[in-house]
Amino acid sequence: MTALLPPEIEGGSRFDRLVQPARVHGSLYTDPSIFAEELRKIWHRTWVFVGHESEVPQPNDYVRKQLADQDVVMTRDKDGELHLLINRCAHRGLQVCDDKAGNSSSFRCPYHGWTYRNTGELLGYPYNKGYGGKNKLELGMGKVARVDSYHGFVFGSLAAEGPSLDEHLGAAKGEIDRLVGLSPDGQVKLDAGWLRHRTRSNWKFLAENETDGYHPQFVHGSIFGVTGSPIGALYSDNSTAVTRNLGDGHSENDLRPEFRSFAEPMRWFGTTPDRVPGYVAAMHEAYGDDAQRRMIEGAPHVMIFPNLFIAEIQVFNIQPVAVGECVQYATAVQMAGGHELNQRMVSQSIGSVGPAGMLLADDTEMYERNQRGVEMADPEWLDVRRGLGRESVDAAGFTIGAATDETGMRGFWTHYKSLMEAED
Amino acid sequence: MATTPDPQRHDVVFEEPTGPLAVPGVGAVVESEFASVSVRLDQSGNSVRLRVEDLRTGRVRFLDALELESIVWLEDGHLTQLLDPSHERWRG
Repeated sequence: MTALLPPEIEGGSRFDRLVQPARVHGSLYTDPSIFAEELRKIWHRTWVFVGHESEVPQPNDYVRKQLADQDVVMTRDKDGELHLLINRCAHRGLQVCDDKAGNSSSFRCPYHGWTYRNTGELLGYPYNKGYGGKNKLELGMGKVARVDSYHGFVFGSLAAEGPSLDEHLGAAKGEIDRLVGLSPDGQVKLDAGWLRHRTRSNWKFLAENETDGYHPQFVHGSIFGVTGSPIGALYSDNSTAVTRNLGDGHSENDLRPEFRSFAEPMRWFGTTPDRVPGYVAAMHEAYGDDAQRRMIEGAPHVMIFPNLFIAEIQVFNIQPVAVGECVQYATAVQMAGGHELNQRMVSQSIGSVGPAGMLLADDTEMYERNQRGVEMADPEWLDVRRGLGRESVDAAGFTIGAATDETGMRGFWTHYKSLMEAED
Repeated sequence: MATTPDPQRHDVVFEEPTGPLAVPGVGAVVESEFASVSVRLDQSGNSVRLRVEDLRTGRVRFLDALELESIVWLEDGHLTQLLDPSHERWRG
């Protein structure tokens, strides 16, 4: 366990010592007290991705979700409004909902029958004379303080005050715009079902890895080899792709420079227009002259702090469990009006993140070995300096590095440090 | 109460529902984690009715066309009142 700090880095704030420009301390991944502090200062405070509006399409639909350690019920009430309820009865604290999903205008706790509307409001309780009659209790299910969505992606913040979702997403909004811009109807659905992968690793290894362009040729050599995918070559020092620090902890691998040079529609998806004719026709119908550009440039590869990873054709929802454990929920993107593309997206996602998939399993092997590794005593630090000497600023003012550089990680840590240094 | 329809009294005899939500001899089941009821059309009377059974207790209620229409027109607030456990079933 790497918990003691060497004397030469004493001074400054605790996180000045732990998070440095070119290295981060191993205890950040192994110290339970740091994890507890992360829950308070990050997961219970900032905007966290919870789910997608398409998971509750009908009035009175609900799904169980996680927001870090909080069991949350995402509901759509009879008027269509979304709510994130804390799954806890106001009477004795029992979990009210047990099913993963359902449709019900009200929820009845199985312990003593307390009944809530799907807005969280207490509707009634049995034998009400014991409370002096009906409507005598100012109680209800807990609610996530703030709920907001962007293009159907639903986020929750347990803090009543703080930056708006719009401010939190910042430049990452443009990446979600890119994704929905590949739908002929301008919207995506995440209704194909979520795969749940328990991962014995600190959550930050995942957040860092998602835009690490250095590892794909090693970790993902098997799937690139089997599928003949041209994607692996995009993550090399010869690539014109860039790693971009989008600010606010968000980062992306921008592969568009490579795809533009090939100028082949649907290359990003590993196919050709003639194999998805319905989709291509619908894109031309929807976007006219701009359809070609969209289909050449493809979908984003973006990590939105702290837990939403959009990986072109699939979406990951990362939720921490403990200092050395997290869960990865993964699902295939479904394009509204996407025709035959959607079935292919499901098939490709099964191949990459399914139970026998070859992408997520390989990454997870690295995460778990990484966790075991940092629990060793020496060396205490993890190096994040790759590309530090060759970064530049792009036309929009964002710091960019080469395709294999750790620019995204450094952006993550800068934002992480600012949140962890805030007052409790 | 007899529930077997008399073919002589009706022009149309409804068949038992089939499909993934139907239980033979019980009917179509409408359920969530909070309640489980079966619904089927009953033709033992002079008009068709809906037979609703609370499968957790076996309690049965028949709802005629006018009663069903009234439920459709029930204001949401009134329906919500019916969901209060103290309203009828667990009245203090």
